[in-house]
Amino acid sequence: MLKPILILCLGNEIVSDDGFGVEIARRLTDAGNIPESVEVVFAPLAGFALLDLLAGRAKVLIVDTIRTGNAAPGTLHKFAAGVLTPSKNLTTSHQINLPTALEFGRQLGLDMPDDIDVIAVEAEDLETVSEQLTPSVQAAVDQAIRFVWDWISRNATEEITHAN
Amino acid sequence: MKSIVIDPITRLEGHGKIHLFIKDDGELANCYFQVPELRGFEAFCVGRPVEELCRITTRICGVCPDAHHMASAKAIDAVFGAEIPSAAHKLRNLLYNGFYASDHTAHFYVLAGPDFICGPDAPPGERNILGVIAKVGLDAGKKVIAQRANGQRVIEIIGGKKVHPVTALPGGMSKRISKEEQEELIKIGEDMVEFAKFSIQIVNDVVLAKEEYVDMILSDTYAHKTYNIGLVDEDNKVNFYDGKVRVTDPDGKEHCKYEPKDYLEYLAEHVEPYSYLKYPYLKKVGWKGFVDGVDSGVFKATPLSRLNVSDGMATPLAQAEYERFYETLAGDSSGKTPVHGTLATHWARVVELVYSCEAVLELAKDNEITSDHIFDPPKGIVGEGVGVVEAPRGNLTHHYKTDENGIVTEANLIVGTTNNNAAISMSIKRAAEGLIKKGTEITQGTLNRIEMAFRAYDPCFGCATHSLAGEMPLEVIVHDAESGEVIQTAQQNC
Repeated sequence: MLKPILILCLGNEIVSDDGFGVEIARRLTDAGNIPESVEVVFAPLAGFALLDLLAGRAKVLIVDTIRTGNAAPGTLHKFAAGVLTPSKNLTTSHQINLPTALEFGRQLGLDMPDDIDVIAVEAEDLETVSEQLTPSVQAAVDQAIRFVWDWISRNATEEITHAN
Repeated sequence: MKSIVIDPITRLEGHGKIHLFIKDDGELANCYFQVPELRGFEAFCVGRPVEELCRITTRICGVCPDAHHMASAKAIDAVFGAEIPSAAHKLRNLLYNGFYASDHTAHFYVLAGPDFICGPDAPPGERNILGVIAKVGLDAGKKVIAQRANGQRVIEIIGGKKVHPVTALPGGMSKRISKEEQEELIKIGEDMVEFAKFSIQIVNDVVLAKEEYVDMILSDTYAHKTYNIGLVDEDNKVNFYDGKVRVTDPDGKEHCKYEPKDYLEYLAEHVEPYSYLKYPYLKKVGWKGFVDGVDSGVFKATPLSRLNVSDGMATPLAQAEYERFYETLAGDSSGKTPVHGTLATHWARVVELVYSCEAVLELAKDNEITSDHIFDPPKGIVGEGVGVVEAPRGNLTHHYKTDENGIVTEANLIVGTTNNNAAISMSIKRAAEGLIKKGTEITQGTLNRIEMAFRAYDPCFGCATHSLAGEMPLEVIVHDAESGEVIQTAQQNC
């Protein structure tokens, strides 16, 4: 049975700060107390593949990397997908971006989520092949985890017994 | 002199820039294309067990991980001197055609479709898959989604995972196929062949029915006569997974045909100071700059190139489409007269799509794919290996060297888009020359027509420079080339 709430961590675990989503997914999964109604997924994907992951969900939080150029590396940007600023993985030159994927899904009659929130960290390095986050982005992990737990507690259908 | 810079906004990663230098009389003097680079890929690989690379390299491209998995697996087989069993070969080929069927579908309907179905001058807000669906109907959208899902399912059944396959290993494959899975694969293949027929119909109804589109495909604006390269089987038919690399000259004559492992004897790379991305060219012809013709070593490695280097397709529907393609565009159904129009690449992609769908069905029906004999353990180590496949966007080479324990000491990749780097620059220049004259106001339509010139190559600059790709937003900045003064800017996809 598809869980109604999705924490969708996007990125690429071998491209420096693009590994942010992987790290968040790992920390959440390791905590081992994700509520029954919530699923945590790490995906190095974009375009149509997001459609597959999003269809049938009630609420979604996307965790990703972004480069606005207007904030210090490690800054956390939080916004609703409705006012989406393209982040690193939410766009793709080969398929479709997230807003288009959502609209396409709706046109096809798929049950697309109405509520999609995004938390994205301002990246410092998205060019070096490495499994290490830069220090400034690493330093933002704890704060992002707190935000995600807070988001879960506001959106999960059941009582949260523990939030770290 | 003025220059125009087509530049994506910097808040997105993976930005490329196009500089167009315009003389005072309005003529285009030159064109530079710049892309960013992902650093440290080789350093990342060095010191790792080589058998890990076919899983790591799937991560360097979010678009064609399956191509990297296969090229890498073949290179690793070669490092260990491993011959894979026939059933493993068929499974890899089946997986790979399933991937092609999905990838070419996405490209044709999502990227190329908007230009032909909505029109190149439609506003960007409408020139997308939503605009395509609005024109051709919801049912087509459902077919596209089902086809893509079918391709993903083929990858999942054989590759163990959707999108990022994991089952190729030195000496064969790690996952057997059950009879039930074979039945599912046959059903998928049948659906795919129906989708292929539907796509042929779309080409007929939407592209070929409109004279202006056929003229656009054939126009000089989008054409140049270069060499072509691509893999062919023993009958010189198009093959995505295996074979020899065949190179034909601008007139269609065979220039050479070589074993993938010998690529360094035939290919060299030119470097320009303004670009991180190198420019491969044919070594024996030589680098003569960004020019076409038989004396220039510039080549293309695209779906159109694969058709041009081949003598046909190995399946019946695709062969019929191949003949129709060449009859329509070259006046000779044999394929011996090459087609050079860049936008014909989109139709060539459909011919390949038809082939991949038929190949899935053909391989799915082959009972050998359920064999238990899918793996022969490697017995030794050679220490060097090259693997070549045709990625959807062009010839893809992985080349590894290891120590006696199989630990990587060197890794080199030439990805599909890199092969086409020189040709892409030339296509942009040609398109700009045809479209921008003295006093031309650069409109969204002009920008899109320039972008169409490189969209036909389905470029993956993120992958070419070893990083994930972003959307390709463009900013055109017109400079006076002598003073550097900005005269005009225009943007799209920003």
